[in-house]
Amino acid sequence: MFDWFISLNSVTIDFDTSHQFFPRIIMTLLLVLGSLILLANIRPVWRAIRSGRYQFFVRNADFFRLLVTLVLIPVYFWSMDAIGEVLPNMGLGFLLASIPFVFLMSMLYCHERTRRNITIITANAVIAPTVVWGVLYHLFLVSMP
Amino acid sequence: MEFLELLSPAFFLLAAAGAIIGIVFGAIPGMTATMAVAVCLPLTYTLGLQEGLALLLGLYVGGISGGLVPAILLNIPGTPSSITTTFDGYPMAQRGEAERALKICIVASLVGGIFSALVLFFFAPVLADFAIKFSYVEKFLMIFFALTVIASLSKNIVMGVFSGLLGVLLSLIGSYDVSDGGNGEYRLMLPFMEPYLAFGFSLLPVLIGLFGISTIIEEAEKGAKESSQEDKVNLTKGKPFRFSVFKGQVGNLLRSSSIGTFIGMLPGIGGSAASILAYTQQKNLSKQPHKMGTGEPEGLVASESANNGLTGGALIPLLSLGIPGDSTTAVLIGAFTLQGLQVGPLFIGENIDTWYSMITALMFANVVMFVVMFYAIRYIAKVVLIPKFILYPIIVMMCTVGAYAINYGIMFDVWTLFIFGVAGWIFTKIGIEVAPLVIGFILGGSAEVYFVKSLESYGEYTVLFTKSPIAMVLWGLIVLSIVVSFMIHKKSKQHSGESK
Repeated sequence: MFDWFISLNSVTIDFDTSHQFFPRIIMTLLLVLGSLILLANIRPVWRAIRSGRYQFFVRNADFFRLLVTLVLIPVYFWSMDAIGEVLPNMGLGFLLASIPFVFLMSMLYCHERTRRNITIITANAVIAPTVVWGVLYHLFLVSMP
Repeated sequence: MEFLELLSPAFFLLAAAGAIIGIVFGAIPGMTATMAVAVCLPLTYTLGLQEGLALLLGLYVGGISGGLVPAILLNIPGTPSSITTTFDGYPMAQRGEAERALKICIVASLVGGIFSALVLFFFAPVLADFAIKFSYVEKFLMIFFALTVIASLSKNIVMGVFSGLLGVLLSLIGSYDVSDGGNGEYRLMLPFMEPYLAFGFSLLPVLIGLFGISTIIEEAEKGAKESSQEDKVNLTKGKPFRFSVFKGQVGNLLRSSSIGTFIGMLPGIGGSAASILAYTQQKNLSKQPHKMGTGEPEGLVASESANNGLTGGALIPLLSLGIPGDSTTAVLIGAFTLQGLQVGPLFIGENIDTWYSMITALMFANVVMFVVMFYAIRYIAKVVLIPKFILYPIIVMMCTVGAYAINYGIMFDVWTLFIFGVAGWIFTKIGIEVAPLVIGFILGGSAEVYFVKSLESYGEYTVLFTKSPIAMVLWGLIVLSIVVSFMIHKKSKQHSGESK
């Protein structure tokens, strides 16, 4: 009995599988805690969802702006890389992708598209990325696609 | 005094610029000091160590301080730590005493900031000297303690622990590094991910994604409505500011600064806890507690000295133990790594000149913050009027530059930004708490190394409990933090039940 207890305390970590040792402990703990959270909350959460008290999105969510933001950002990243492949080592991927991105995102978030605001947005879309590109890429030698 | 040679005019200029940019960030609702540091990180890539740190520390101090501007003028806390500033600041602004409220807060911020910098200067080396004696077991327990403190102060303890462990698991993705005594094998990913995730997710893109991009997505979901209203920015109709307002407030100033510094030392708790605790304490001790919340200067003093007290406090565990005290210092840890420095018990001893220059930068940034805000507050107040449609695209653009440049041009880091931006937005909706997750992510790798090495060295589990008296004390602290948090949660539940 005592030997069995001692053997429980002793631990040997096999070098070949040592990369799995700690992650397995963490995953087990996550599984236990996750199950506890599920068991404790599944009923109240389900009731809240059915009665409409729980909403994933905020009340009166702006789905248009949310969706376009979620599309615009990855398109910006993709286009930056694509342009950078065609025009490498000049930071032009960043510059040429950022100008339309800043313009489109500003237009998306602007609630009053007056002539004044559109002028400000256009100027900002050209000036901001150009200044960032000029200062960071040329002056500070920061890597850009 | 060799460090004085390192203090060039550029050093002071960058600390000042950092403080000013930080103030602007903090003054914009939704933008935080963490975001200011994260967004400006690319600027430090080509700066020297001292100059880079001066800029980042300036941003930190300015970012925390700037939050008081919208808190008072718009009733919107610029940073989470300014939440209690709204309680008395906004009523004063409505009475036309906005400038008076702002200046009270600025003076209180200066006192809190200088106080915490002094505590950092005297206390961090002592703690570091003590921590040098730690073996792998104590180091692991220190991380475990940090994680339990963060988790136990979450809204839901179980969820806090879950979030912290999830952060740890995310940090383990990649190969088990040979330089850490690992076998170099990949884990927790599919074979096609190996070229991208060989070294796991980079820290900074994860942080910028969680704190920067997720904020933009949240704002987009809310419709990116403009919160600033020009007619609300009315500074000087009522009583003017006089230093005599601080008569009888010295105790409040020192107590609240101490609370802020102490809370800052506890990893991951954040500024809102510090200012709420200091405000509640002042309310308990106030001669006229019923007046607090109606525009009383003592409430502003408590709130702002506490949240600036955080700045030095949060740097103490970072510089002496390598454990970040809050989300902003978590980003700072990335900046140190970028400069090839490893923070921990040996940091101060091995980088004494850097240590002195950091303290100088922190003090100087506080003074610049005071001078700029005190004398130019009328102009800074206009910052709250910058429209979101101009600001947010620039934030995304700067976040992208930061993520891409962090490893000298890896596109996957930019995608990491997006992945964690979306994840951060979803996490808040399903109850996963970002602060414990981030601390878990930062400390996960070290936790693994210390835990596995402890067991490999001693071959038994009980060593984690019986290695040394320090280990036993740490276990005592871990149990204490869990018990105290359960009691606090129970008490707050009772309070909310009674109020219903």
